[in-house]
Amino acid sequence: MRPVVLKTLNAPILVIILTFLVAIQSSLFNSYPLMYLQPDVVLVAVVWSALRRDFAEGGVLTLILANIAEIHSGAPQGLYLACYMAVYLAIRILSRFFLFPNLTSYIGLTLGASIFWKLLSLFILHLLGLSANQWRHTLVLLLPGAVMVGIVSIWLFRFFERFDWVTYKNPKAKHADDDILIDEEGWAE
Amino acid sequence: MLRYIKEYRFYIILFLFILIPIIAIDTSTRAPREYRLYDRVIVGITSPVQTAISWALEISVSFVNNYIFLFSTRSQNLELIGENRKLLNMIINLRETQEENKRLRKLLNFKESFSLETVNARVIAKDVSTEFRVIRINRGEDNGIKKDMPVVNSEGVIGRVLRTTGKTADIVTLLDLLSAVDSIVKRSRVRGIVEGMTDEVCHLKFALRTDDIQNGDLLISSGLGGVFPKGLPVGRVTDIVRQPYGITQSVEVRPSVDFSKLEEVLVITGKMDSPIHVAEQYQQQLTGPKGKKEEPES
Repeated sequence: MRPVVLKTLNAPILVIILTFLVAIQSSLFNSYPLMYLQPDVVLVAVVWSALRRDFAEGGVLTLILANIAEIHSGAPQGLYLACYMAVYLAIRILSRFFLFPNLTSYIGLTLGASIFWKLLSLFILHLLGLSANQWRHTLVLLLPGAVMVGIVSIWLFRFFERFDWVTYKNPKAKHADDDILIDEEGWAE
Repeated sequence: MLRYIKEYRFYIILFLFILIPIIAIDTSTRAPREYRLYDRVIVGITSPVQTAISWALEISVSFVNNYIFLFSTRSQNLELIGENRKLLNMIINLRETQEENKRLRKLLNFKESFSLETVNARVIAKDVSTEFRVIRINRGEDNGIKKDMPVVNSEGVIGRVLRTTGKTADIVTLLDLLSAVDSIVKRSRVRGIVEGMTDEVCHLKFALRTDDIQNGDLLISSGLGGVFPKGLPVGRVTDIVRQPYGITQSVEVRPSVDFSKLEEVLVITGKMDSPIHVAEQYQQQLTGPKGKKEEPES
């Protein structure tokens, strides 16, 4: 019973945790020059959702998290929804052709996703007629921003992994529990 | 029917995932979204965290600055005393000008209104993206703050209120690409629109190539547009590029407010007054009741 409840609560708790992380991100990095190194925690969560959730759940999580980011930003309405969803779908497609077996590959993917996200947002802003003189600023901060997201993702991915394990979202967690029970009953060799 | 839905479940979900963001992008307004009920709930959860972190950071920075880095305190103190004297002289001159202005206004039978209501607020967070320059302050609707109210500090124009909740308000700063302030060059009275460009500079749009603008020129708010009162400092011209062709010239403006060190702001909630009176109000708020007592009553 307990694993089922925890598994059900996984997504809502993840949303709450990320809401707090967005609050921390926006207030901790609000002073100069830290503001240029602001990591995008939502992007890391979107990458995680694309790789570790089924299509529908990951997509809904992406929309909710993009919405939370949008509330904490002055971005035009819908920009973050479109950009994060594009990142989500792109990673889903990539994951069908490539294997992302370990943390290093996840970090590499996050770096790429960060660059893709920024360029896409610039493109949409251009379509909305708002990108005048913005491209230079975006391009200057493109790589530092991606590196910062990559660094933060090391801890965040480990945290997500641990969180999924504790809440039995990771299928291996249930099996590990069963093995322990078998072990305690004296069935293990 | 259900069988078809089950069969094409993936495509239906994919279609919805693509459709929702496209619908959300409001191409007609291109504006940041207004707060809805659930947005307010989320902001209600995050704003105390932001306030707490902001407060903790401020305490830490204050501790480091006040107890650890005291190398140049004495020389800075002497500089500030000198600066304070200069400012006091300036205030006296401004007061004289104001008195003269009052007399002239009376002669012209202009009605004057002297009520300037402001709300002090602290910056608690900045935009989650580096592309936009919106800040969040710890005062909101409960303190009388409403959308489109001007936000200033002693240095000049900061921005306008973008949206509010009960306890917080988002300010779209002068540097944001969604910001536009109708301004005039103080020296030559040339008009233009100051729009955000990067984290440090703005640009003056619609300035004709033949307009008289020079490096170092001070830009002040024109009072048009109905948000900012006339005469508030907006910024200084730092770079001008005049091409041999075209109608306009490219003018780069550095805001008079140092946004990298922005901690406290004033939201103007009441009627506006002359810039001199505004300056006096700032002075009173900076010096407090003690400074107020020392000032001779006019």
